[in-house]
Amino acid sequence: MGNEAEKPNIITTSLDFLVNWGRTNSLWPFPYGTACCAIEFMSTEVGRYDLSRIGSEYVRFTPRQSDVLLVAGTITYKQAPILKRIYEQMAEPRWVIAMGACACSGGFYDCYCTVPGIDHIIPVDVYIGGCPSRPEAFFDAMFDLQKKIKDESFMKQRAEQVKDQLEMIKAKTAEAKAQAQEFAHEKVAELKDFVVEKEQNLVKKAQFWKE
Amino acid sequence: MTAEEIFACLEEKFGAKRETLDKWGVTAVVSAAYLHNAVEFLKDGADAKFDMLVDIAGIDYLTYPNHEGPRFAVSYSFKTVAAPCVRVRLKVLVGEDSLKVPTISDLYANANWYEREVYDQFGIVFEGHPDLRRLLNHVEFVGHPLRKDYPAQKRQWLSTNDYLLPTLEKRLEELGYKVVQRSKEVEPNDNEFLEGSVKA
Repeated sequence: MGNEAEKPNIITTSLDFLVNWGRTNSLWPFPYGTACCAIEFMSTEVGRYDLSRIGSEYVRFTPRQSDVLLVAGTITYKQAPILKRIYEQMAEPRWVIAMGACACSGGFYDCYCTVPGIDHIIPVDVYIGGCPSRPEAFFDAMFDLQKKIKDESFMKQRAEQVKDQLEMIKAKTAEAKAQAQEFAHEKVAELKDFVVEKEQNLVKKAQFWKE
Repeated sequence: MTAEEIFACLEEKFGAKRETLDKWGVTAVVSAAYLHNAVEFLKDGADAKFDMLVDIAGIDYLTYPNHEGPRFAVSYSFKTVAAPCVRVRLKVLVGEDSLKVPTISDLYANANWYEREVYDQFGIVFEGHPDLRRLLNHVEFVGHPLRKDYPAQKRQWLSTNDYLLPTLEKRLEELGYKVVQRSKEVEPNDNEFLEGSVKA
């Protein structure tokens, strides 16, 4: 399967095109807003700028239904495990946008409490500068993300996943086999000991009766 | 009643001293032993009743130029709604060896969190406080970051977040809701989370 998917043919490329078209035009963001960038995101979302023009009209407030994790604002060390947990709760495929100076690099908070960039915690696809970022900049980032998604190959990812899974299954089976063998060896050794003991007992008994 | 008159009362009753660094307002330095009584006097006893506690601030004098005396101080700002221009500040000097100040959270409800913040950032212990835990920093934080000898860029990671579900359920139950069923994901697992900012 891996070899077939690595060589693009008419079926895989058209499937890729279809899947990517669907993904690019329905990017549902999860706004992780902790500071003023979230306000800018709100103005991006509503009437004047209207993010739904590119298909991101649904802002989902649960990580399970969203595709893009939008980190808008300062992330403190107290907040960091929560952000990581939310990223782990999102279903694949998932992308992350770091919005504003604080999410990208910690901004001007060069201190004991602020994480210097969320890429210390989770992988980031697109960075947006600005303090806070303009809605235009946010649109630019969304277009960048769309371009990035268009370059992805669904079949390739799928093949890689299957390969990984196969390898994992092989490793697991090998482990299980080794364990079973060890267990069997132990059992055999135990049985041998048991038999030897029995034999010795019998011999002793026989000797006793002879005497 | 002006601030000066109130200071005269404080001086007479509690042996307060005028803080010379405060050139425009009235700051009374009281000893920790008289603090609770002084605050009680400001809240209930005086003619101008100081019904507002504006702030409690910790001060670290470690790198302060020409400073003599104890290293820490706790400053209380009071305000009254009846006479808006009258403000009084109390100051308690805290030595590095004792680090203890009596709580005033039984007089002012908002002092609870202010004192927690001062404890968090300076490590000053408020005796008699009902629930003295860190307020702003996380549970695994070591040290007190607003002390002058704490390196400002020293960062400390937190491993897991706080376990907020039990308190949430308690709050909902107080409102009349009832937990009928939990999904498997939110089933409490005490090993996975820290107790953190939630009181056990």
